[in-house]
Amino acid sequence: MSDIGRMVPNEKPEHPYVMVSYAGSIFGNFSTMFCSGCGYGIIGQIFTRIFEDERLDPHLFPTIIGIGCYSQILLNVHAKSQKILSLHGRAPPVATGIKLANPKMKPIIFSGDGDCLGIGGNHFIHLCRRNLDCVVFIFNNSIYAMTGGQGAPTTLYGASSTTTPYKMFENRIDGVNLALAAGATYVARTTVAHPRTYIKYFKKALKHKGTSVIEVITPCVTYFGRKNLDSLGAENLGVEGAKMDQGLKMLDWIKRNTVRINQAKFMTEEELFNKYVIGEFRYEPNKPEYSEEYAIIQKLAMGGK
Amino acid sequence: MLSNVNGKRFLKPGRHLMMGNVAMSEGALSAGLSYFGGYPITPSTEVIEHLAIRLPEVGGVCMQMEDELASINSVIGASLTGAKAMTATSGPGLSLMVETISMAANLEIPFVFCDVQRAGPGSAGPVTEPHHNDIGLVRFSGHGEFQVIAIAPMNCQELFDLTITAFNFAEIYRCPVFILSDAYLGHLHEIVNIPPKEEILKRIVKRELPEDIIKKFSYKDDISGKYIIPKPPVIGTDYCPGIFLHMAHNYEGLPSPKLTQFMEVLVEKINSNKDKICITEKYKLEDAEIVVVGYGLPIRASYRAVDLARDEGIKVGILRLVTVWPFPDAIVKDSVKDAKAIIVPELNYTGIIAEQVERVSKLGMPIIKIPKVGVFHHPDEILNAIREVAK
Repeated sequence: MSDIGRMVPNEKPEHPYVMVSYAGSIFGNFSTMFCSGCGYGIIGQIFTRIFEDERLDPHLFPTIIGIGCYSQILLNVHAKSQKILSLHGRAPPVATGIKLANPKMKPIIFSGDGDCLGIGGNHFIHLCRRNLDCVVFIFNNSIYAMTGGQGAPTTLYGASSTTTPYKMFENRIDGVNLALAAGATYVARTTVAHPRTYIKYFKKALKHKGTSVIEVITPCVTYFGRKNLDSLGAENLGVEGAKMDQGLKMLDWIKRNTVRINQAKFMTEEELFNKYVIGEFRYEPNKPEYSEEYAIIQKLAMGGK
Repeated sequence: MLSNVNGKRFLKPGRHLMMGNVAMSEGALSAGLSYFGGYPITPSTEVIEHLAIRLPEVGGVCMQMEDELASINSVIGASLTGAKAMTATSGPGLSLMVETISMAANLEIPFVFCDVQRAGPGSAGPVTEPHHNDIGLVRFSGHGEFQVIAIAPMNCQELFDLTITAFNFAEIYRCPVFILSDAYLGHLHEIVNIPPKEEILKRIVKRELPEDIIKKFSYKDDISGKYIIPKPPVIGTDYCPGIFLHMAHNYEGLPSPKLTQFMEVLVEKINSNKDKICITEKYKLEDAEIVVVGYGLPIRASYRAVDLARDEGIKVGILRLVTVWPFPDAIVKDSVKDAKAIIVPELNYTGIIAEQVERVSKLGMPIIKIPKVGVFHHPDEILNAIREVAK
């Protein structure tokens, strides 16, 4: 056993859900490896809550985790959840193998923006295309944070990063639009600043039969907040920005920089530039699901009716 | 997990005319294959084509994934759930897959990898010509140090039989197991004798859950000093670590700072079992002064050449490596210790196995390579080399 527990004071846990998380079950306290102000603590907490409250069978809901800062989330997710750390960007094919070899399971995929929309973009597209029964989380902090703040495919226009020190000038990729185009049947976007909708969407995704894609906007204070001004996304309004070097400032910026889908319908493209539209984009519960379709093929091949 | 719902898993016992790739697929099905993830690539395409028909018939899954990276990763996922899983590809596909092979070796996930080798380097070369160029790549595939098992069949019958052996090795030793076929062997049509179902069932190692559910990964037993390899963990059961963490870990799957010990277990669990893994065939070796060492398809020409040379009175024999990796050091050393010269006919230019033979043979031992790429060795070419040495 490692010494992580000794480094953290063994204080009384403030939250009952802490004790059922992986770190809580070992060390008895809420230990995370995240920087202050990071949103992944909230995400891990929400996952643990739902896993506990919904009484998910740990044998049927394996968690497949890609590579990124959020890989450390495994300390904060439910202790009983069976966790598989996969390769960078390759979580969707691992989930495909699991789901098809054991159709009773419903894999939950944790992936980041660089993981799912960068290196693993192709796998993500084809997972959505097949409508395989699983839940995909894209944790979007719009930066490659684990390696030290390089530009990501989701970095906002005009933002600064270590590989775009002057200004980001590439067009960003929109995970939700990609999932919609590829054919995912439940697509939603939320942020860690809206935990109630997050919980609602997650519960809905667990009950949905088909690929559910939930993009979660999460702050990275250390590599995104400190280097950028909170006027990002509001350049055309002539706002004078301040640095987002604290967690709350960044959460505040996320709240200001998001638009609800109902409002977005009445806004022009220029007004939506560099903004995040949140809400539910598609919910089609009756589309055929891949493993069920494959079971029909198997029956056909076996000579049944 | 051997589903055999309607008795279609096993072919009728008896003689069948089969293509090499099909014989290998049937061997895999007999061994209990239930998940195949692949991507079409010449010359291995017949494997996925055949399994797309056969696997759903027995309740298995044959997936054509979006690329090679996806196919190998889906194989890993399927293997984690307790299914016997396999993929098939050629050189360029193997190049793409090596990262996952490294991860699977770390997590000791069993799977079988069929490599139908084609001419390289590059991806747009003569794709239907054989070239044993991946033989070095499979040994050193992926970053990090680990040991793999590679088997080189020489005819369609062996493609059937040795595929079953490969699945057994994967289950027992929990490491990537390669079947080294090539473009000619994969497309060769030959008679295959299918044994009866009962005989096959006796041969295969099933995936079972052990009684000791604490130890999930290989470890070195401190008292006996032996390397113990538990059964592979299965997700969806209690015999599963909390996290499958591909970094240095102990037998429970928890991170461990002891990197050297971890490496030792990964490599030595194979090396210490070489006597069970290394299959070799000896032909007229008892009094041989000249030894032909080879593997795979090109060795078939050597048998004819050796017979002709024996008629001429030249004392020559064959050591055939069925298991190429781990390299059977002791057996090769023993076979060539009294030899005057060694001939290594290989289907590649650099002589990757010749280097290994050189490593274990006496200093100054003449090693004659007969490099060929894309075409077979003619028995006369090997016979001429034997005559040259015997002079």
